[in-house]
Amino acid sequence: MITQTSSHVGQKPPAIGRGWRRLVATFLTVSVVVTSCFSVVSLYIAIQIQVVKQTPPYATPASLGAQYRDVTFPSRDDHLQLQGWFIPGVLPTGQLTAQRVIIMVHGNGNNRAEKSSGLLKLSVDLARRGFAVLAYDSRGAGQSPPAARSFGLFEQRDVLGAVDFLRTGPLPYPALGRPRAIAGWGVSLGAATLILAAAQEPAIRAIVSDSAFADILPLLERDIPAQGHIPSLFTPGGLLAAQVLYGVDYYHTAPVAVIASIAPRPILLIQGANDNENHTDTPVTNLFTLAAAARSAPGAHVQTWLVPGATHAQAYHVEGTAYVDQLVAFYTAALGADTSAS
Amino acid sequence: MHTYTRNDAAGRGSTRVTKRGAGVGRGLLVGLIPLELLAAVGGMTIPLTALARHLYEGAGFFAQQQAAVLVLSVGLLLSLAVFAMAIWRVLRRVAAWQQSGAMAQANAALWALSATALLVVLPVVLALFLPQHPAP
Repeated sequence: MITQTSSHVGQKPPAIGRGWRRLVATFLTVSVVVTSCFSVVSLYIAIQIQVVKQTPPYATPASLGAQYRDVTFPSRDDHLQLQGWFIPGVLPTGQLTAQRVIIMVHGNGNNRAEKSSGLLKLSVDLARRGFAVLAYDSRGAGQSPPAARSFGLFEQRDVLGAVDFLRTGPLPYPALGRPRAIAGWGVSLGAATLILAAAQEPAIRAIVSDSAFADILPLLERDIPAQGHIPSLFTPGGLLAAQVLYGVDYYHTAPVAVIASIAPRPILLIQGANDNENHTDTPVTNLFTLAAAARSAPGAHVQTWLVPGATHAQAYHVEGTAYVDQLVAFYTAALGADTSAS
Repeated sequence: MHTYTRNDAAGRGSTRVTKRGAGVGRGLLVGLIPLELLAAVGGMTIPLTALARHLYEGAGFFAQQQAAVLVLSVGLLLSLAVFAMAIWRVLRRVAAWQQSGAMAQANAALWALSATALLVVLPVVLALFLPQHPAP
């Protein structure tokens, strides 16, 4: 008893120790609760930005009087079975051709018939000017298998799969032979995806990028808080959670970082001068950023076209035939004329 | 005799300092146990999530997503439970040390727990101050 009493001599009263203990316990509880809430919201954001509702194409090329055949081909590396249309080119003589094929890549949350940008009509217009078209639904879009939306990081495998299909796959018009030249057209997310794919696939001889973003990160940093009505501090957590859950690294999804490696293959960059007027699309500065990066490569062939009066991905609707003429001139210069009639 | 007494006093002081140092070290080690467990369980969850994603690659996106979300959620809940249990046990031990007058150990453990609390909330603080460059 005496020993016990003497052991407390000179020590702080237990009440102070208890108070500090409670303070630390409270601090720990608060930090755990705050971090747990942050983690849950981050996971929710990651799931929300990855999953997009898929809608099938509203029409087919036949609705515009064009011949076409359904095709299925696997994406490169991960072998997702993508659905698409192969539309043969039509020469002035009426002869079908597949010498020069344009791969059409649609935008975010859309499909191979994308009404908003006029993709289906543009595909048919190009076919009538002698270019065969391969239009397909990207992963997680249209009638292709569901997949995480990675803003180009994984979708570029679909473009590469389309190239593989054209070079070695079972083409739906065997009598027309293999394509002599492959080029690409992409709109919005599709344009960014096309840039990422073309940077690593030299078989894509020329690309037209309509309304591409230079880097997805600034757009996500703007759109996640605005569309989710949440503070911007959750954005990094959401992007990190997307990396853990889906393996999507948004910090490395930047067409601007790779566009220079497309040179010397020609690039046509198009954007509406009124893009982003509602602060929900792609600012026009993205066109200038991409053009500057593309031109930094030796031997680069880069053209730009800022379409007055056009909002996001609306250049074709605004310019109509002039848009098609511009594309035909660009692709013809890049790929050469069709020689199948001679 | 005088010299002996001085040496003895110095020796006792040195022993006290050594004992106090050992107490602080032990307190820190015990106080850091919850953080170590959190790091171990939480750290294992991330590669396990990637593994689940990989294993369900052929089963389709939604199955893959379910597997990844399930593994990640269970891992986070498990790490939370292990962390809470470890904290509760460490705080009980701290209380016992305080009762027995081992204040150096108790204080060191409480400092370690405070540092743990800071580290746990650090990702949120970093996210708050991480520079962002949103598009206009």
